[in-house]
Amino acid sequence: MTQRPLTARGDSGLREQRPFHARIPAFLYMLLCVLVALFPILWVVMSSFKSNAQILSSAVSLPTAYSFEGYRMALEVSPILRYFFNSVVITMLSTFLNVFLVSLAAYVFARTRFRGKNLLFSILALSMVIPMTALMQPVYQVITSLGLADSLPGLVLVYMALNMPLTLLIMRASFAGVPASLEEAAYIDGAGFMYTYFRVMLPLTKGGLASAAVMAFLNAWNEFTFALVLTKSAAVRTLPLSLSYFTSQFSFNYTALFAAITMAVLPSILIFAVFQEQVSQSLVIGAVKG
Amino acid sequence: MKRILSLLLAVVMVLGLGSALAEIKLDYPTFQVGVNTAAPVIAQLVEEFNALHAGQVVIQVEEIPGDANYIDKIKVLLNAKDLPPVIYGAGYNLLDLALASDLLVDLTPYVEADPEWQAMYNDKALEVNSRDGKIYGSSAEGNTIGYFYNKELFEQAGIAGPAKTWDEFFAQLDTLKAAGITPLSMDTADSAWVTSLWMGALIATSGEAGQAFMAQMMPDDYNTPEVIGALEKIQKMFQEYTTFDAVGGKYENAANAFLSGQTAMIANGPWMIGDFSDTTKAPEGFADKVGVAIYPEGFAYDEPIQGYLVTRQQDSAVEQAAVEMVKYFTGVHAQTVALEKQGMLPASTQVEITQTAKDNFPLLAEFVVALEGAVIRSATTQATMYPNLLDIMSAELPNLASGAMTPEQFAQALTEGAAKNK
Amino acid sequence: MQRRQAGWIALFLLPAVALFLTIYAIPLGITLYTSLFDYRLFPNRMVYVGLANFAQLFARDAQFHRALVNNLVWILLHTTLHIAIGAVLALILYKKPRGWKAVRVIYMIPSIISNAAVAMIFANIYNPSYGVINSLLKSVGLAGMQRNWLYDPATSFVSVTMIWTLFSGYNTTLILSQALSLDSSVLEAARVDGASRLQQDFLIVMPLVKHMLATTMIMAATYMLQMFDLIYLTTRGGPGVTTTNLPLMLYKTAMTENNYGYANAIGVVIIALGVLFMTLINKLLRTRED
Repeated sequence: MTQRPLTARGDSGLREQRPFHARIPAFLYMLLCVLVALFPILWVVMSSFKSNAQILSSAVSLPTAYSFEGYRMALEVSPILRYFFNSVVITMLSTFLNVFLVSLAAYVFARTRFRGKNLLFSILALSMVIPMTALMQPVYQVITSLGLADSLPGLVLVYMALNMPLTLLIMRASFAGVPASLEEAAYIDGAGFMYTYFRVMLPLTKGGLASAAVMAFLNAWNEFTFALVLTKSAAVRTLPLSLSYFTSQFSFNYTALFAAITMAVLPSILIFAVFQEQVSQSLVIGAVKG
Repeated sequence: MKRILSLLLAVVMVLGLGSALAEIKLDYPTFQVGVNTAAPVIAQLVEEFNALHAGQVVIQVEEIPGDANYIDKIKVLLNAKDLPPVIYGAGYNLLDLALASDLLVDLTPYVEADPEWQAMYNDKALEVNSRDGKIYGSSAEGNTIGYFYNKELFEQAGIAGPAKTWDEFFAQLDTLKAAGITPLSMDTADSAWVTSLWMGALIATSGEAGQAFMAQMMPDDYNTPEVIGALEKIQKMFQEYTTFDAVGGKYENAANAFLSGQTAMIANGPWMIGDFSDTTKAPEGFADKVGVAIYPEGFAYDEPIQGYLVTRQQDSAVEQAAVEMVKYFTGVHAQTVALEKQGMLPASTQVEITQTAKDNFPLLAEFVVALEGAVIRSATTQATMYPNLLDIMSAELPNLASGAMTPEQFAQALTEGAAKNK
Repeated sequence: MQRRQAGWIALFLLPAVALFLTIYAIPLGITLYTSLFDYRLFPNRMVYVGLANFAQLFARDAQFHRALVNNLVWILLHTTLHIAIGAVLALILYKKPRGWKAVRVIYMIPSIISNAAVAMIFANIYNPSYGVINSLLKSVGLAGMQRNWLYDPATSFVSVTMIWTLFSGYNTTLILSQALSLDSSVLEAARVDGASRLQQDFLIVMPLVKHMLATTMIMAATYMLQMFDLIYLTTRGGPGVTTTNLPLMLYKTAMTENNYGYANAIGVVIIALGVLFMTLINKLLRTRED
């Protein structure tokens, strides 16, 4: 493959110069996707500036005044900042550990042969289809007996496990996509198993790693049930729980709720966007190397 | 040597004293946080209790925002036989569940040993909190409920005041409708609280059989003329007298319809009074337009709901402390705090309706007067029905409303749902 | 080499297997075992009944039949329509048209927002009195078409389906990451051969990302098999049973009817369906490594 310089035009190796009218359908499709995706977040942000009565009377109207009262109330009613910080720590840790540890197994499943491989993989993949309601009770008891109830490691462990099957699938597919010749070449050069994995295979699956990390991150970031069941103290509680503070059976504060959602979501979008940029950088470099 | 011995002795004494003084920690998970109207009440009681027992007992609050989340978590803890020392049974019948697994402390000896506590129990409170002659719970809330109406809209339609009979009530609905006013706020989602209040009122006032039905704990048979008769009227209310979004609507939608002056009536308890003067929810001056009434035929919901329960603990000192906490949280002082801060009418007749409460919530004073006219009283259907029926109400009411289901079929669906608890 | 690898293979598998054993093995065992019992909390009892729970489910429980059919239809739609929507965008972005990076991030936003918020947003889109759809219909003179979208038995199923069908960001991200890591010389060769744009997309790119496609399909199938919160937070399975699925029924049976044996029998059906779909998808796309 020819090397291309990493300039603005240079990385557009696949960009076709086609007549404008031929690009219209693709452009319209992109536009549609953008509109569909932007509507919910815009609606949430708009609502955080409306009064309860406005939110419940006119879904599409614009706010009449922009006051930050909802944000003030959200911060007052729920420990959202504290929970946000906990979420960042727990999500980052569990995502990193999950992707690092589970990729090992994914590699073995994708690239080696051993007896009972398919059976073992099928058993591990079963984790994906055990209903959440069935998990709740036993997981509470396991985590409690391990002495990890209401602790940060407890939640990290559970989130690592919850994302295990997904990471396994994504990374197995990524490793499977790497041409066998590269791996063989490494072995012929006398590289060991560990070296081949960390220095040859892992760098070639950056795209998969990044995708798996994104999935694991988002799943852990939004997880509610185990955060509720496994924690008691504000020191380990996570962001999704804070959103329940604004509606109760006979009372509600929608303005504060949407302010809270905005505060919860905007930083996550930012984290995600930065992360994606990192990912695509590494992809370009990876592709050049390949 | 002597000095060493005396030093050792001193150390032992300090350690011994230390362990005797070790604070007992009471984990208390509660959903009464955040925007829950009882949140300030619970916060104050916890603070007071902790100050009162400083160095001996400390309540550590675990905030579980959202009622449904609370129940989910308590069920997990219940299955794991790992319940916190004090739980709140309200509305979800945790008493029978916990008792079935033999996890509750019998409060009878404690209540009998304390005349003041014993006096807090009236017959109804005793009934909802006892099983087989043993007391397991202590109530704090009266759950006294009527309905609110918009005096301005009533005036516009030429209606003098709240109806005394159902015939008059339905005539008023027609009058309001003819004047271009949507008469009722109703809902179906989240167990259809507002709608089920009308339903219960209709059942309770349909004669002796209806009253008997409402007095039942966990009724099994909904195929009775009283229930079906009430459902017929509920169906009509959905089809003729309420907002378009009542079907599928949550309590929030129903409340907003009333608070924004769209509808003329909403059934709900006095804890809603505070919302009438909350300008993020209602227009300025709305509170002055609201009147309060008991239901037609002299009916009002007025029965304490299942209260605080103490669960079995390995350490009997923790159990003792938990009993103390429950006693404090359901005593005259606690109920007065709830009355004055939240507008919650007390469970016990021992609690005086104070002037402060009447000043804080002028409508409450009006409601207390109206209550004197109540000749039929009962618990809400939600407090007595099997908890799984709450979901069936939400799922099937849209069908009843649209006519896809007859009242008979709806009653049958509830009966079948009840049978699933056998 | 095989012999030397055995130790490494075991070591690499260890974390994933350990996660499975701590978090999933016990719930899996409990679910399978208690599905054979009449096991309740209130009244408290546990009696062995063999396959009676399954007989009841399949032979007599009309709610279960509806939940099963709904679940199957939703899985079918999710593994086809939902993925197609995301895959088409991935194929467009893969050519790196202007603004592709922004589109990729924006289209992911709805997946970053928690489902609790998404449910609330859609309740407002569908609200019959002031919702977005009815307001639009009214403004274009089609007031006659206004409906109570979520709670009219005729439209509730479609309305609920739309909540999760359009937001396909996960799939776009995954397929795009795989496509971008492809050797671009393949495409260039195809272009030289005069392959049309559509031919390039479907005959060359798609087969090369089939591992990832299979992964997204398995993810979509298991996601739908486990779908709970978006239904619970909107229609709660109603009106009647029109939008009930298996996890919702399992939850109600366990948490409100306290009937754990019967609930876990539903859990076993969910697990069995999961295994079935994973096998089918793997067979279909022949991604098994042997």
